[in-house]
Amino acid sequence: MAFRKIDIDALEEDAFGEDEIDFQEIGELRPVADVDAQVNSRAQEVSGNTSGALSTSLQNPPYGAPFHAAKARNTQTVMEVLNSIKVSDVPQLVKSLSPEEQDVLMKYLYAGMATPEQNNSGHLLAWHEKLTEVAGQGCIVRVITDRRTV
Amino acid sequence: MSDSPIVNEFNQGPISCHAFNGDRTELAICFNTNVVSIFRKSGASWTQTSTLVEHDKPVTSIDWAPKSNRIVTCSQDRNAYVWTLDGASHQWKPTLVLLRINRAATFVRWSPEEDKFAVASGSRCISVCYFEEDNDWWVGKHIKKPIRSTVLSIDWHPNNVLLAAGCADMKARVFSAFIKGIDKKPAPSPWGEKLPFNTLCGEFSNGAGGWIHGVAFSPSGESLVFTGHDSTITVVSPGTGDIQSIRAPYLPYLSVIWLNENQIVAAGHDCAPHLFELKGQQWAFSASLDAAVKKADVGFTARDTFRRMDSRAQSTTSTDTEVHTHHQNTINSIRSFSGTPEHVEQFSTSAIDGKLIIWNADSISRGLGNLHL
Repeated sequence: MAFRKIDIDALEEDAFGEDEIDFQEIGELRPVADVDAQVNSRAQEVSGNTSGALSTSLQNPPYGAPFHAAKARNTQTVMEVLNSIKVSDVPQLVKSLSPEEQDVLMKYLYAGMATPEQNNSGHLLAWHEKLTEVAGQGCIVRVITDRRTV
Repeated sequence: MSDSPIVNEFNQGPISCHAFNGDRTELAICFNTNVVSIFRKSGASWTQTSTLVEHDKPVTSIDWAPKSNRIVTCSQDRNAYVWTLDGASHQWKPTLVLLRINRAATFVRWSPEEDKFAVASGSRCISVCYFEEDNDWWVGKHIKKPIRSTVLSIDWHPNNVLLAAGCADMKARVFSAFIKGIDKKPAPSPWGEKLPFNTLCGEFSNGAGGWIHGVAFSPSGESLVFTGHDSTITVVSPGTGDIQSIRAPYLPYLSVIWLNENQIVAAGHDCAPHLFELKGQQWAFSASLDAAVKKADVGFTARDTFRRMDSRAQSTTSTDTEVHTHHQNTINSIRSFSGTPEHVEQFSTSAIDGKLIIWNADSISRGLGNLHL
């Protein structure tokens, strides 16, 4: 918003604000405790279980502003799963995901690359390359447009 | 008829919108300025015959009524004009339309009967305009609720009453634009039975957010397609309750039309028209209609290289970014050129690269049809 010095929406009584957009796209939020519990149980479920672990870790991600902790925990879970998979298995695995799961995986790849001190960006870039080959640029565009961030 | 697309290059800057007259011998086009240029076909090329100068900000949309031969233009200056050809002087005469909007007008289309038109705008409303005989002027009635942001595109249902709108609040909506005294009571359809003005007949989202760029009713009006900035296209059929969203692996589509009940063409940031087909009950991406032509071997001179960089607003030379399509930049408008709404034979696309291309849909779909057999 740096290029625009005046917030013209401030003069509008009935502006289409961030809160409303988020509510429209995400809907009613679940209690934080429920989401935390779900994310933690998933982390238990996928640890040490490689077959289907990737798909499981991408189901029903926590969306919405209040879930900072759950989002970080789930990102960590997905990263652990990604790290446990050999690079040679990646193309096959990516192809087996549904289009929705591919979009969610792309969200987590970007979320992972946002914290380079915690994650191996080189490994994530390898995943990114393989995923883009399968799901195309459309998948990247959807990560940018989607308000449901991880 | 040749199967290869007919490329018209105007070299006057990016094309923001275009419209043909009824018999396709004349063309109204805007090169991203406040002026609309009228061209007449002479042989294989187009000769400029007149200009429509009345707007004072860039023109955002043009539509040419095929039967009544009237042009409507709208602009960022918040005005719309209806242009009629004066028989004696052969000059286009503008009539101002009272839109009553406080943001830019973004899109305009005549209704199928040509007795109304709808103007989409940034002031979160659609102005449905009709001619009031008593006062001898065009007046607009607003469709407001529940639009929350800029309306980017509209399309009329064949029954002259329903109106689809693609909106920057990530929703595509279907409204009734019924005007008392002009419209006859429409026959009941899957979209609804009682349709007073501003009735919301449907509200739809695409897969992953993103503005809705293009909307189009199917030739029968039974289905609606819309494209979003999340690179999806969504087909909605209220009769069967079916909603299908296709996540395309390409860049987002800005404009969309139906070739017939089973084929849709969408085009946008990928610079090529893409065909989507109904196979059985399932919509799916079928093919790019622009056979990727590799033109790199021709041996470019330095001058050609710079010209290509200019047409794509590119600052460095790199073979990696070569665009192997006829259009060299984003396609922003796709319109039917010949055939009937039920069976479009040719369609036209205009793009930011300043080209207007006429594609032969018939040969393409027939060719593909044979392949599928």
